[in-house]
Amino acid sequence: MDVSQYLEIFIDETKEHLQSLNTQILNLEQDSENADTINEIFRAAHSLKGMAGTMGYKRMQNLTHDMENVFSEVRTGNIKVKANMIDILFQCLDALEEYLDNIQSTADEGTNDNEPLIKALNQILSGEADSGEEEKQEEVQEAPKSSKKKVHRAEDGKWEAIVLNDSERTVIGKALEQGKKVYGLTVYIQESCILKAARAFLVFKAMESLGEIIVSSPSAQDIEDEHFENDFSIFVLSDSPLDVVIEAAESVSEIEKVAGGEWDAASEHTMLETPVEKTTPASVAKEAEERKAAASGNGPVTVSETVQDNPALIPVAREAQEVQEVREAPQDTQPTPPRNDKKPAVNKPVVNRTVRVDIEKLDSLMNLVSELIIAKNSLVSISASGSSDASSSSAFNEQIEYLESVTTNLHESVMKVRMVPIESVVQKFPRMIRDLQKKLGKKMELYMSGEETELDRTVVDEIGDPLMHLLRNAADHGLENAELRKERGKPATGSIHLDAYQDGNNVIIEVSDDGGGINVAGVKEKAINRGVITQDQAENMSDKDIVNLLFLPSFSTAEKVTDVSGRGVGLDVVKSKIEALSGEVDVKTKFGEGSTWTIRLPLTLAIIQALMVVVGDEKYAISLGSIETIENITGEDIKYVQAKEVINLRGAVIPLIRLDDMLDIPKEQRNDDNLVVVIVRKGDKQAGLVVDELIGQQEIVIKSLGKYINKCKFISGATILGDGEVALILDANAMF
Amino acid sequence: MDELKTKAAYVASEDEDGYVPPQITQFIVVKFGEEQYGIDIKYVDNIVRMQHITRVPKVSNYIKGVINLRGEVVPVMSVRLKMDLADDVETKATRIIILKLEQHCNIGILVDEVKEVVNLEENQIERVSYETKDDKSNFIYGIGKYDGGLISLLDLNSVTLDKEALS
Repeated sequence: MDVSQYLEIFIDETKEHLQSLNTQILNLEQDSENADTINEIFRAAHSLKGMAGTMGYKRMQNLTHDMENVFSEVRTGNIKVKANMIDILFQCLDALEEYLDNIQSTADEGTNDNEPLIKALNQILSGEADSGEEEKQEEVQEAPKSSKKKVHRAEDGKWEAIVLNDSERTVIGKALEQGKKVYGLTVYIQESCILKAARAFLVFKAMESLGEIIVSSPSAQDIEDEHFENDFSIFVLSDSPLDVVIEAAESVSEIEKVAGGEWDAASEHTMLETPVEKTTPASVAKEAEERKAAASGNGPVTVSETVQDNPALIPVAREAQEVQEVREAPQDTQPTPPRNDKKPAVNKPVVNRTVRVDIEKLDSLMNLVSELIIAKNSLVSISASGSSDASSSSAFNEQIEYLESVTTNLHESVMKVRMVPIESVVQKFPRMIRDLQKKLGKKMELYMSGEETELDRTVVDEIGDPLMHLLRNAADHGLENAELRKERGKPATGSIHLDAYQDGNNVIIEVSDDGGGINVAGVKEKAINRGVITQDQAENMSDKDIVNLLFLPSFSTAEKVTDVSGRGVGLDVVKSKIEALSGEVDVKTKFGEGSTWTIRLPLTLAIIQALMVVVGDEKYAISLGSIETIENITGEDIKYVQAKEVINLRGAVIPLIRLDDMLDIPKEQRNDDNLVVVIVRKGDKQAGLVVDELIGQQEIVIKSLGKYINKCKFISGATILGDGEVALILDANAMF
Repeated sequence: MDELKTKAAYVASEDEDGYVPPQITQFIVVKFGEEQYGIDIKYVDNIVRMQHITRVPKVSNYIKGVINLRGEVVPVMSVRLKMDLADDVETKATRIIILKLEQHCNIGILVDEVKEVVNLEENQIERVSYETKDDKSNFIYGIGKYDGGLISLLDLNSVTLDKEALS
């Protein structure tokens, strides 16, 4: 086995821990005394360290180790939370994220040691050590580690029940002769753990780095196949002390606890008979026994705490620790999986994207598939009966209807499986706003709602950047500085809202601020100065048209380019990204009162309702979402404006688009007496597409045309029709 | 005996650094008009019969359109048009060869006829040198000699390279 197969779990969990660290540290900044928050942070940092260590990411481990030290000091109250400490911690999180990005794209953590950060962390630590006694600090450092550990009661030590066979005994005997120690461990995995085998593997891996696993119960094969309850027991040969071994096992996440002790041949049976119970009155006697055992070097050390409590044991532990240090040195130079010599291409993520799916969703999917099979079987039996009378044809129709309802439900279920809440994306924004606040020197507050709104996974992945641009814009350009806000009679703290909600088949995400709004006159002037529009054009443009100029590439109205925004790459990127997701973005603004940016996204991308039309000999699909109405017009209805064909439809002048011209469809004769026009809409603009014939509404599956054909901007994809033919999907949005 | 023969063949070839077992490459022989062309079999995914090709507007003229290959939409190009030959005439023998290339996903090419599969050893292949390259032979990396006939070996990367799309 090789750790790379656990890379996905590692990345997923690291992301979760980093996110929770981000949120919790933000909380900590607000309320620096909250013990729950501090504990939560400590736990997350600890798991991160363990995970990074197991996967062999040393740099990541070092950094998290130092962070953990700081947190443990905070937890014991030795260090007070200060603003600069929070800043450094956030920088550490950024550095960790960088490692994670590297890992995700190349399976390697990169070469940045982040020494300044580690130094800064140590300074935080030593800053305290200077004022306090050094000895005390050392104690404190040890303390949280041991208190964190749950008491390993001997009754948890199922490993004692393992019966060794002869060959295993000889192996152990030899090892003991070489001065190694044999430990028995019982590892308890949290009940909520999903991939028990993976966790077990990580424990095995951790053990193998310290020594050798002689025997496991259940067998290694059973553990690998997940044929075990929530615990398993192993015997480990190692020259590290017991608490190091236990700690290594516990550092794997989702491990509830590890109970362990030293094994010796003599005590194998006696231990079974006299379970060592720490809380019983017999504990005094037990301690004496332990002391004796420690003197002989192989007593049942069941609790790591005992090592510290019991003075007689300390020398043994120290000695072993030294051995451990010596062992660690060569380990560092050991080439962890062959990463450097065969680096995958940088832009090719080594990890596939995954979605965590609720079991219930999968169950309903399974049910639908079984219904599908039943429907198929009924059809088979009808066709097998062979008769073509009325009754069989009606049964046939019935089954087709049934099939239809099953496929519709199936579609819905599959869609649901692909849906994830946008929470994962928006979670990082409070942190961003906090950083911006410091950078810009403005006071602001972010209010979010609708984080649970679900969107297709592919959309959620892409939506982060555009939203970030909009929020940055709102913070930098939108919100005024404190004086101006006062002048305008607004509260000193600006507010930015991020709201998401579902609206029919669309999801709406709104970013609004109570800032200055867009200065339309300013935009107009800038556009004229830049030569984007002429003076004449400017006079004929509505305010809305002018605001839309902001979406043009390289158009930035900020007087000065700041770090945060104003490089003129923001809004056009937002627009193109959203449009690539078949969505649209719109802005409403009132000068002096603020602006609202609205992003409208389709719920799903894979399957759509479409209208099938015929142009010439070719069939095309038009997404139903962009169709307004369908009109029959005569040749007389066509008017001309600037030599272009338009129709006047109930008071609105709508330009006509001849699809046969636009798509180079050969056609001998045009019949202008009777035209079928599909009115499509984009925002509040409309256009009429002239088609020859309507086929009807149909649910179509969108297929990509592939990289080879991407030149035609009017075509957004292709679909396969019932008869196996390929029909192209027209992108009505590109016609304007 | 066999070894002797190949050794002799090797001596006859122009390669001069040490003995290497002759490399055998399999080619699918196709016809465009009367000319025979060879396609390295390792690039061939599939050969399908002619089927309805859906035209795609506003693309290079040699892109014939797209077909449905077992639920996947695959573009089809005309090698004839790409090489400035006369346009394809659909006959019963016309086939679409689906190629799998690294830089883009599958792509189909139209051929007039698929003849056979041949094995060519390295010494049966004569590389085209740069001097003789004119526009048309840019699509060929070598000439194979087989059974007294000549087979132009297609350089699939340059055949399928979409110059217009790149520019």
